[in-house]
Amino acid sequence: MSKPKISSDWMAGCAGCHMSLLDIDERIVTIAELADIRATPITDLKEPDAGGVDVGILEGGINNTANEEVALRMRSRCKILVALGDCAVFGGVPAMRNFFTLEESLRRAYIETESTDAEGKIPNDPELCRPTKVRGLQEVVPVDVFVPGCPPDADVIFYVLSELTQGRIPELKDNLLHWD
Amino acid sequence: MISLTIDGKTIEVTPGTTILRAAEMAGIHIPTLCDHDELTPYGGCRLCIVEIQGFRIPVTSCTMPVSQGMVVQTNTANLRASREQILSLLFSERNHFCPFCQLTGGDCELQNAALNEGMTHWPMFTSWNTFSVDTSHPFFVLDNNRCILCRRCVRACGELVGNFTLGVAERGIHSMLVADSDQPLGESSCISCGNCVQVCPTGALIDRQSAYRGLEKDLEITPSICIGCSVGCGVKLFTRDNQLVRIEGDWNAPVNCGILCKTGRFKPLEESRDRLTTPMLRLDGELQPTSWDEALWAIVDHLRPLIGRKEDGVAALASTRLPVESLTLFKSLFADRFQSSMVTSVEEGRPTGLLAAMATELRQPFEGRLDSLHTADCVVAIGVNLVEGHEVAGFFVKRAIPRGLKLVVIDPQPNDLDPLAAYTIKAVRGSDVDILLALQAAVVDEDLAKASPPAFDAEKILASLPGKTGLQVRTIREVARLLGTARQPVILFGKGITARSDNETLRMLIKLARLIGALDEDHSGLISVKGEANSLAAAQLGLDQPFQLNGNKAVFVALGDDYPSQRLIERLEKAPFLVVQASYASPLTEIANVVLPVEMWAEQDGHYLNLDGRLQLAHHALRAPSGAWAHRTIFTALADRLSLSISSNWKEELYKRVPSVAINEN
Repeated sequence: MSKPKISSDWMAGCAGCHMSLLDIDERIVTIAELADIRATPITDLKEPDAGGVDVGILEGGINNTANEEVALRMRSRCKILVALGDCAVFGGVPAMRNFFTLEESLRRAYIETESTDAEGKIPNDPELCRPTKVRGLQEVVPVDVFVPGCPPDADVIFYVLSELTQGRIPELKDNLLHWD
Repeated sequence: MISLTIDGKTIEVTPGTTILRAAEMAGIHIPTLCDHDELTPYGGCRLCIVEIQGFRIPVTSCTMPVSQGMVVQTNTANLRASREQILSLLFSERNHFCPFCQLTGGDCELQNAALNEGMTHWPMFTSWNTFSVDTSHPFFVLDNNRCILCRRCVRACGELVGNFTLGVAERGIHSMLVADSDQPLGESSCISCGNCVQVCPTGALIDRQSAYRGLEKDLEITPSICIGCSVGCGVKLFTRDNQLVRIEGDWNAPVNCGILCKTGRFKPLEESRDRLTTPMLRLDGELQPTSWDEALWAIVDHLRPLIGRKEDGVAALASTRLPVESLTLFKSLFADRFQSSMVTSVEEGRPTGLLAAMATELRQPFEGRLDSLHTADCVVAIGVNLVEGHEVAGFFVKRAIPRGLKLVVIDPQPNDLDPLAAYTIKAVRGSDVDILLALQAAVVDEDLAKASPPAFDAEKILASLPGKTGLQVRTIREVARLLGTARQPVILFGKGITARSDNETLRMLIKLARLIGALDEDHSGLISVKGEANSLAAAQLGLDQPFQLNGNKAVFVALGDDYPSQRLIERLEKAPFLVVQASYASPLTEIANVVLPVEMWAEQDGHYLNLDGRLQLAHHALRAPSGAWAHRTIFTALADRLSLSISSNWKEELYKRVPSVAINEN
């Protein structure tokens, strides 16, 4: 039997969950032995195989149409979808933006920022993606495994990956379950 | 007793016990968010639901009393699913995004509840219903976005403190905590006691000082007592890296049962005075830093010739914020060894002098215990403002008013408790004796006296009252009827009575107390609030006379972390040689000849005798900065250099005088 394929991507997050993934250190060799690591933001391949992967991992919430595309693509190409980290699970820190209107947020970011001069303007090129409310992954596509944490601890990530690559669904509880 | 079965375990509990408490007794944990030991059950969060055999649907165990033969299940698959749904509803209703909350990672009861259920997420979409954050209060922040509407704060504000500032406005998803009729907290009737913050299970109420300075697991917690006043509340001091982070009331403390006032909870964290860490010596008219050795020898050289000179030697004053151990060494050094006749406290016996004299005269304690307020049905507050000081005692009064306690305030000045009083007696200044006499006369005239009445002409006394005091006889008669018919009257009094130059008012008070049955053989409902944390101990040690410089050649002030009064500073300006032992720079240290830096309250261990005679131990939670010594180290170092031996037998000293209230060592 061939090794299960895993692929990951990031959306509206800080890359911290992927940094935490790298914190599994030499155990990544174990994961590489168990699985075929395909497209990730930190490997050369940038998109999950069109032919599909076994496990898809997404970090970050969904805050624009580009994120939506990433989420939909990953969902359509993987068997098990993992929401990695508080942003993917709940919306996380970016979701603070939802307490304001989109217009307020954009004005603050592109016009009212202290370092912006009088010519500041909100980008509106049709080529650009459109910002949306910040959502957790489950609001856009069905999610199979939730791994909360900001970021999830390296030990948690290693446990999740080793379970998934050996064909089991990880059960997070006790020491492995944190929302912070 | 009632017998019931919870999760297959049969237990017996008293009637009226809730299922939640019964389960606790049986060692069965039922999760809850709105329940609190000190608060009336509310049944708001629904998390404590249980299944009872024969019941159609699950019920909240915090509000359901046990009944005979009840069979209860607390952890079925159905209940677990319901709890998860309840938590999901709570999480999805508002901003419960953990990463940007200061309580995440252990201190949030809501997060902990979800983790205990094994929840990795909440499966419902979040409502983005938002509320503005109220940052108008100097000590804490109210964020309705984090509120789960458990109403613990509302109940604490009303039930524990009697302030009723917090309430809930609007309905349904728009329900929100408000102060008064939706005032900003900082402009509301809030009295900044912070008990709401202490009971809040989430980050809806967080205090400004400790926010983001570490979770409970990162902090050291030292149980101690508050020395903000003589009530003696139990506190927990939260520290980190030798910094005071937060103070909470100790729920297990016998005096306050968890509650605190702003003086105990927030004021100590606002300390802004300059800390003294180097001894200073006045040379050529200027205070200059020096070594401990030089400072001590400078004092010793000055004081040695004054040993044994009663009237023209060294006068000494100590703060009543010092522990008994330090006060005893102080007294032993200056009163016993130097034999000075002017050894007293900076309070100069104002809160206690007359009480001690009265106890000596009566040859027995005559004051009662603070906890009699919990069962009193009528309280007279005379010569005391229970909001300006001793505020927790004021809470005991305020919170009892909804259960029917009638309050009478006798104070010529505006008193903060006036609005809550059934009667406020405002007469011309200096008429307390007339008022108390008239009350006695009215009690006798109304035929309500519970002790043999004094020989007086009641009608004549009452007739002369309006002319003397401007009061109406009708009011006095109404108050007398209230006092005379009360089941358990309590009289609280303060410096308005005890700081007088004569004890006539105190005598009148005692007579009135006897007459209304507040001072019978086995129970006293007469309580003076005294002053600082160790006022009573200072009185027991005889450190309670008015200060006069007289012909003294030197003055030693063991001020500690106390604030020197303007009146004291003015009198000490004339001292030929002044030593000040203080934690902080003040106008008093500026005029001293020698300044000795000393530990402050949170850095010292020692005993305190609270207003009703409870002996309690305060523990240090911080290390003193290098350079600041302990009071006892300084007194011992001085005695050693003077070749004097001083006594540290503080317990014996406490009992040398008849106390005005029985000392309770438990």
